[in-house]
Amino acid sequence: METNWLDYDWSVMLPEATIAAAVLLLLVIDMLMKKEQDRRFIGLLSLFAVLAAGVAVAFGFGKEQTLILDGSYLVDDFSLVFKLLILGGTTLILLSALSQEKSKEIDYKGEFYYLLLAATLGGMVMVSSADLITLFVGLEILSIASYILVGMRKKRLESVEAAWKYVVMGSVATAFILYGMSFLYGLTGSTNLDVVAERIFEVTRGGYDSFVYLSLLLMLVGFTFKAASAPFHMWAPDVYQGAPTPVTTFLAVVSKTAAIAFILRILRNAYLPGLWSMGEWQDVVSKILIAIAVASMIIGNVVALRQTNTKRLLAYSSIAHAGYLLVPLALFASIPQFIVGNDVFFGSIVYYLLAYMLMTTGAFAVLTIIERDRQDTDIRAFAGLYRRSPWLAIAMSIFLISLAGIPITAGFFGKFYILLNAIIVRNLWVAGIMMVTTVISYYYYFGIIRQMFFRPPTESKKISIPLGLAIVIVIGVIGTIGLGIMPKWVIEFVEGLSWY
Amino acid sequence: MPVTSYLVLAAILFCIGLYGVLTKRNAVIVLLSIELMLSAANINFVAFSKYGLYANVTGQVFSLFSIAVTAAEAAVGLAILIALYRRRGTVEMDQFHSLKG
Repeated sequence: METNWLDYDWSVMLPEATIAAAVLLLLVIDMLMKKEQDRRFIGLLSLFAVLAAGVAVAFGFGKEQTLILDGSYLVDDFSLVFKLLILGGTTLILLSALSQEKSKEIDYKGEFYYLLLAATLGGMVMVSSADLITLFVGLEILSIASYILVGMRKKRLESVEAAWKYVVMGSVATAFILYGMSFLYGLTGSTNLDVVAERIFEVTRGGYDSFVYLSLLLMLVGFTFKAASAPFHMWAPDVYQGAPTPVTTFLAVVSKTAAIAFILRILRNAYLPGLWSMGEWQDVVSKILIAIAVASMIIGNVVALRQTNTKRLLAYSSIAHAGYLLVPLALFASIPQFIVGNDVFFGSIVYYLLAYMLMTTGAFAVLTIIERDRQDTDIRAFAGLYRRSPWLAIAMSIFLISLAGIPITAGFFGKFYILLNAIIVRNLWVAGIMMVTTVISYYYYFGIIRQMFFRPPTESKKISIPLGLAIVIVIGVIGTIGLGIMPKWVIEFVEGLSWY
Repeated sequence: MPVTSYLVLAAILFCIGLYGVLTKRNAVIVLLSIELMLSAANINFVAFSKYGLYANVTGQVFSLFSIAVTAAEAAVGLAILIALYRRRGTVEMDQFHSLKG
């Protein structure tokens, strides 16, 4: 049991170490610099650190899974895939933030970058932890850094108010998760997820099953807060609207990915092995998750219909997407040979997260350009975009079509794949609700497209597109269409990984 | 079973905290209520580490971690509240309503 700390294979923590070193270095550099000095290189340095960490993660594939720090830190294919998604999302966000240097969107340049990196670090710790304590610490690194990021524009009332709402709601969610974890620990006497899984089996048979469900429910309350899915999604529209747009993108993409990974890890490693064999999983847990997923899809898509602010609209759309993502999560153990079927379900979750990342960052990048141009995020700001900048309008249409899930885009195939899995396990009414809500979502996505193509522009000036945002949009368009044409590529890669 | 009384205490604290968050108008009280909820979880951890099904010291370690982390969270919360007070000039929660849709 006792291992010398030098004997651990520390090299597997290279990506985290890179990001942590970059955070500390940039913090010190920023402190030592004079106030009026040019801080642009801080953004470039952080971009470089994220790319370096991404390369380090990519080299980790195909190796044996490694467990370090007394079984609390697990580096396996699961965590590597999610780390790549998190780092990819952060790269796109950094690129779009870099070209906003001159605008007033973000006042405190240095802070923005190292807080963003700290939040990314928290997400990475979260996805590769195999222990409740590590999981909690990772979650809090991510959350605390994002509270500050939301309130970055502290001279703007909306930004600070959004940060306040986020910090209150987020802390309540943390309290729920911690309270749930305390019951899980009390029942199993361990914080290690493997030990927890073994003992859950025993205590569920031993008459403590109500406490097992209580701990799971408390954690699910916290999780639905963090992933912005119903029924605890109320903070999302306000916070998305008030936060600076790059931070909104971060919350919508990276935070959500980390939250999905969190719940996936807890459910799969701790609860599933103990609850599956006697059918409690299918009877109770799966039903709860389906209820959450269905509620998110319905609430997100229906309330989005009456939004006039693009950021709020995208917030409700992200609630709906959280619902779609929860469908495979809810169904992944409902077929008998669940170990065989698992890769298919994880494949659909990862594919959907990738598609969601590309189309959402792209859509927010276009929104950033519009916001710079018009100082407004109302959907009327998109009026006549096709006349003023046809390429931008076409790119935005591709992102919206993908978000709506219309063929040859990544969003279509992601939804199709989830739908197919729902039909395979014969859960037809979930598949039906998914289709109906998707059709409802066409209405509000096409509302923006209608503004861009069929409304006259209020001014005829050309729109200037900064380089960083242009790169993000191009990556987004290529990725969205490429993944839509050749989905096999990603799917085969993901399904070829070892999920256990 | 002695653990029951600790669990009941923690549950009561948690509920008081949640009630405070949902109903109180003063933002500082809301922050205090959140601390109550987190303390409830800590009481659970420490109680379980002594009287749990598999009693061991891990629960106390976890409670130390959570105390440190939630202190950071409270600090950030207060800082944001001060920034908000400077913009708004009040800490009444129902005055914070500029975000609507």
